[in-house]
Amino acid sequence: MIVDTGKYSPMATRLLSKLIGSHTLPNKNIVITSPILLFVVMIITFGCIREEDITLEQRMHQLTNQLMCPVCDAQTIDGSNAQISKDMRAKVQELLHEGKSNSEIKDYFILRYGEDILAAPTGIGFNLLAWIMPIFIVLGGISITFLALKNMRCSNTKAALTVTSNQQDLSKYLTQVDTDLGIYEDKNSQDHNPNNQSVDEIKS
Amino acid sequence: MAELGTMALLIGLAVNTYSLLGSVIGVKVGLPELIVSSRRALYMSILSASAASTALIAAFVQNEFAIKYVADHSNTIMDRAYVWVAFYSGNEGSLLYIVLVLSIISAISVRFAPKQLARSIPWTIAILAGVQLFYFFVLTFFANPFELLETIPADGRGINPLLTHPGMFSHPPLLMGGLIAITIPFAFSSGALLAGNYSDDWVNVARISAILGWGVLGTGMLLGAWWAYNILGWGGYWAWDPIENVALMPWLVVTAFAHSIMVQKRRGMFRMWNVALLNIAFVLAQLGMFINRGGPVVSVHSFAASTLGMIFLGFMMFALIFAFTLFLWRMPHLKSDRAMESFLSREASFLVNNFLFLAVMCITLWGVLFPLFSDLARDVSVSVSAPYFDRANGPVLLSIVVMMGIGPLLPWRKASSRSLRQWFIWPTAVGILTILVLLSLGVKRPVAIFSFGVIAFVALAILEEWVRGTVARHRLGENWVTAWWKLVNGNRPRHGGYIVHISILMLGLGIIGTNFYQQRTDGALEIGQSLVIDNYRIEYVNNGNSSRPDRISKWAEISVYNINVNNYVTEKATAKAQGSAGFTLDDSTLRPGDRLIGQLEPWHGFYLDFNMASVRSGIRSTIVEDLYVIPRDFLPDGRVSLAVSINPLAWWLWAAGPIFIIGTMVALWPQVADKPHNRMKTQMTRESKI
Repeated sequence: MIVDTGKYSPMATRLLSKLIGSHTLPNKNIVITSPILLFVVMIITFGCIREEDITLEQRMHQLTNQLMCPVCDAQTIDGSNAQISKDMRAKVQELLHEGKSNSEIKDYFILRYGEDILAAPTGIGFNLLAWIMPIFIVLGGISITFLALKNMRCSNTKAALTVTSNQQDLSKYLTQVDTDLGIYEDKNSQDHNPNNQSVDEIKS
Repeated sequence: MAELGTMALLIGLAVNTYSLLGSVIGVKVGLPELIVSSRRALYMSILSASAASTALIAAFVQNEFAIKYVADHSNTIMDRAYVWVAFYSGNEGSLLYIVLVLSIISAISVRFAPKQLARSIPWTIAILAGVQLFYFFVLTFFANPFELLETIPADGRGINPLLTHPGMFSHPPLLMGGLIAITIPFAFSSGALLAGNYSDDWVNVARISAILGWGVLGTGMLLGAWWAYNILGWGGYWAWDPIENVALMPWLVVTAFAHSIMVQKRRGMFRMWNVALLNIAFVLAQLGMFINRGGPVVSVHSFAASTLGMIFLGFMMFALIFAFTLFLWRMPHLKSDRAMESFLSREASFLVNNFLFLAVMCITLWGVLFPLFSDLARDVSVSVSAPYFDRANGPVLLSIVVMMGIGPLLPWRKASSRSLRQWFIWPTAVGILTILVLLSLGVKRPVAIFSFGVIAFVALAILEEWVRGTVARHRLGENWVTAWWKLVNGNRPRHGGYIVHISILMLGLGIIGTNFYQQRTDGALEIGQSLVIDNYRIEYVNNGNSSRPDRISKWAEISVYNINVNNYVTEKATAKAQGSAGFTLDDSTLRPGDRLIGQLEPWHGFYLDFNMASVRSGIRSTIVEDLYVIPRDFLPDGRVSLAVSINPLAWWLWAAGPIFIIGTMVALWPQVADKPHNRMKTQMTRESKI
């Protein structure tokens, strides 16, 4: 399976080919360059911008979106029109003008209403679990997907070898379809974009 | 009417019991007549469900307040058109509506199921009858809409005022219909497993029914978002409320299914996986029913004081155990025909896409359930709302959009590097160009800019395929329009999918615009004063009020002007120094360059019977941005306190709706070309056998 782990191939490729078998990667350059390209684009995007300092009003809206209305079902005080929400909004504004920081203001409300006044759990203690789990889900998902891909490649390779005769019979037509569509590809990817109707047209 | 209704429910109970037992015994003992009669019994439940529904609607029309449900959800002064809304506005009625929809779609899907499924159809019928039986059972014994009151009130309580809007004619029924429709594909896949039919015969009917339900559910959610934005007047459209989440989760799973079923259809792979997806979707739909009806999670949507929680929880657990036991039992038979040939193939990209959809689903589920865990584990209640979901799901959702550009450009089986270069160069270039242009224009918010680049990349990927295909056909002498039309028609599932992708991109534009670039300001205005934000001047012209039997309403007359910002430089600078985006003008004299562009009338309503207030915002919508004026309060001193926001690109959210529907319809439209193609295929198989 692991055929090509040449001395000079970068570590990223080696890791990938270890994981999924080297000849699944059609072109090492693409596999390396595309994530790098993506990364560079992201860095440029993120690096070129200097965020302005946010205004008091913007902070006000941030905070009202992070505090729940205690008497409503699943609404923030920003969206709710209940009297208590109005009062809480006024309180937030007051505290902001007193020069309190966002976390001080949140603490003020937690002290009075309990932890469920926050629209999202804090990242401390037990609540850290709420934030860590998504990361585990994604990481676990990625590894399962990799394993599944690898598994699907290794298992029943026999089936892969005996590509059904239908496919071979069809390949002639499908190549024709690709030519019609302006796609000139290697033989490997003949049945890219098969277009049933033209198959039928050609057939008839 | 009450007697008729209750009788209809009892008949429904009997008929479905018969259908369930008849199918199972008929197959096990080998009585074809019993199987046929069980099928007819399943058809019969349409009759009993519609008889019960008709009885309930008739009771509403005739104001039969002796029936508790009618007295609770309507009154004599209510607009008659809302009888239909009142029908499903409460717990009992909505269950009846659900069973009505389920009985109709079950019968249709069984009636038109392909002949090859003859062996597994009795099992499908048994599952469908089982689900219907459950709902009839709940309706008869726990949530009977025909329950009578001991003393007959003179008038009913009336309909919940929040529901008296035309949007309510479609949003709840579509949503409930879409959720229950997931039963159909599940019944076909599990029916095939029960019967030991491991062929792909169930694939087509499951795909069509799943995508139909998916389209309906998606449309229902979009309508709900639209309704929240335009009618509820809290300024948003999606709150990650538990009920919204439980509708979103099965939708995500069916989205994954709609993709990966194509791999099974085309390549005979992912068999296990597709069955598992339908199982998950069905269980999640039942979770939705549970949380909606007395579940442990608070939501703005819950039916008040419903005690059905435990029953629905029980049914959900049963569905979970049934579906996955069956799955594990039959799993060894669900092998793929072929192996994955390359990491860079469409099959693999579909697998990655499925993983991403399931990741969003799991994160959302985790967010919905976390308050419960916190409660159980340490007796502290926490809230998990929008800020959490935005942050946890945002990156994964963006990756889904990225995959939307990559996946379709990869060929089946294995991509060559040449084809990769050929197909990816333009979309990538345009994506990067978009980012560079936005950067050079001085646009803020890096995450948003990157997302715009991704959207451009995907849009160009779709466009590229259409352009290449159309050009190729045009060269063969077709005109441009016919060429494109024939291209789309040639492979409707695929190109319908592209149209849906475009609608998702439009949604993406709206979501990014409103989340990242919203501008807001608040202010309290006297008559004649104006509030200025960006290049809008919002003048409070007058107010008015009216009193109707059911509600008192008060509105503000507001004129919106487009201003020349240069004439307001000094005020703007002062406002900025005070840390505010907008400022108030005391005089109503217009300045040069002010141009009246619209009148808004946001209002407040107060419903006496319900002790409930409703707010309607004033919205001026353009393709670029919406001006959104929420009347927070009519203050005692005559001022009105307004929350004004500018929501960029919000228009695109709603424009995406029709495109989404069109795309779904194109993907589902029966493929005429299927037939000769299939004939050719069977002929070939025959030849190869010889």
